[in-house]
Amino acid sequence: MFVCNNASNRRAAVRLTFLLLSAANVSAKPIAFADGTTIMAEYGAGTMEEAQAFYAPYYWLSLGAGYLHLDSDVMPRTRNIQDLRANYLAHRWNLDDAQANVFAWAGLGSATGNDFRGSVLDREVGFQADYETRRLYASWVTDLHESSAYSDRIDTVQLGFAPYAHDYQDLATWLVLQARDYTGGIHNGVEYALLVRLFKGGAWVEAGVTQNGKPQVMMMFNF
Amino acid sequence: MRSFLLCLALVGFSVPAPAATIEMEVNGLVCAFCAQGIEKKLRAFPATADVVVSLEKKLVALSTKDGQDIPDDELRSALTNAGYTVKAIHRESESLNDVRERLKGSR
Repeated sequence: MFVCNNASNRRAAVRLTFLLLSAANVSAKPIAFADGTTIMAEYGAGTMEEAQAFYAPYYWLSLGAGYLHLDSDVMPRTRNIQDLRANYLAHRWNLDDAQANVFAWAGLGSATGNDFRGSVLDREVGFQADYETRRLYASWVTDLHESSAYSDRIDTVQLGFAPYAHDYQDLATWLVLQARDYTGGIHNGVEYALLVRLFKGGAWVEAGVTQNGKPQVMMMFNF
Repeated sequence: MRSFLLCLALVGFSVPAPAATIEMEVNGLVCAFCAQGIEKKLRAFPATADVVVSLEKKLVALSTKDGQDIPDDELRSALTNAGYTVKAIHRESESLNDVRERLKGSR
């Protein structure tokens, strides 16, 4: 997974690997399962609002559309982005008691904002690595939106712990610590949030607060 | 006439009856969405009667409709196309309800 050319790269790879392994999967995956439809909406502490809908013809590919609204909490800057997106499962490791995935995605769409005129072409690329057991979960997601007017990237790391091992028919409960970093003047510093995630069957609800007491809510349905 | 009936009986007995339950050991089975995807794939077989998934045991169990069967290679292909790794497939005489109860009892 990692190509290490020198000691510094090796140390970075070890740190990232440790980060991923030390927690583990309950991340929202851009592809849930083959012949499945996913609908997701997230409210992120007043800074980010997102909605996505995907259909996966295969377990390794999903196609759909997304909407992203960014509202800077450090300056009067907003973005409204809508795009069509393809998600690709680059690799999956099916282990005895765990699963790990690497996803990549790309999208094209249009965007408006209050610091540039009219509508611009938005290009999106993203990457996700996750690792999951029935009790631990870790994910790292990076999502970049670029246009002639802006370059905004959102990096999110989640570490989750389940107080009990759930089975298919059970209500699964996860406690998740999230760290999120925005570029492009959307937010200063890293935003931390503590979340409670519940899911059963194809329904997933997650809610919590950031270190500033702002709410974060996410819902996802797979069918 | 007697030999005809005997032949008929032998032919009848030589056709293997479908197993009551087909059990599949699966790697990567850790979350409800995994189970949901696998269940959806297996229920798509016309011969499938019912499906049980246990994350705890990493087991997928399936019963077929009366007199019907699903070949191992088709089951393996369905699970692989769902994104999972099949470790083993075996057929058991235990009914799917008994498997369900056994799985509940082992938790």
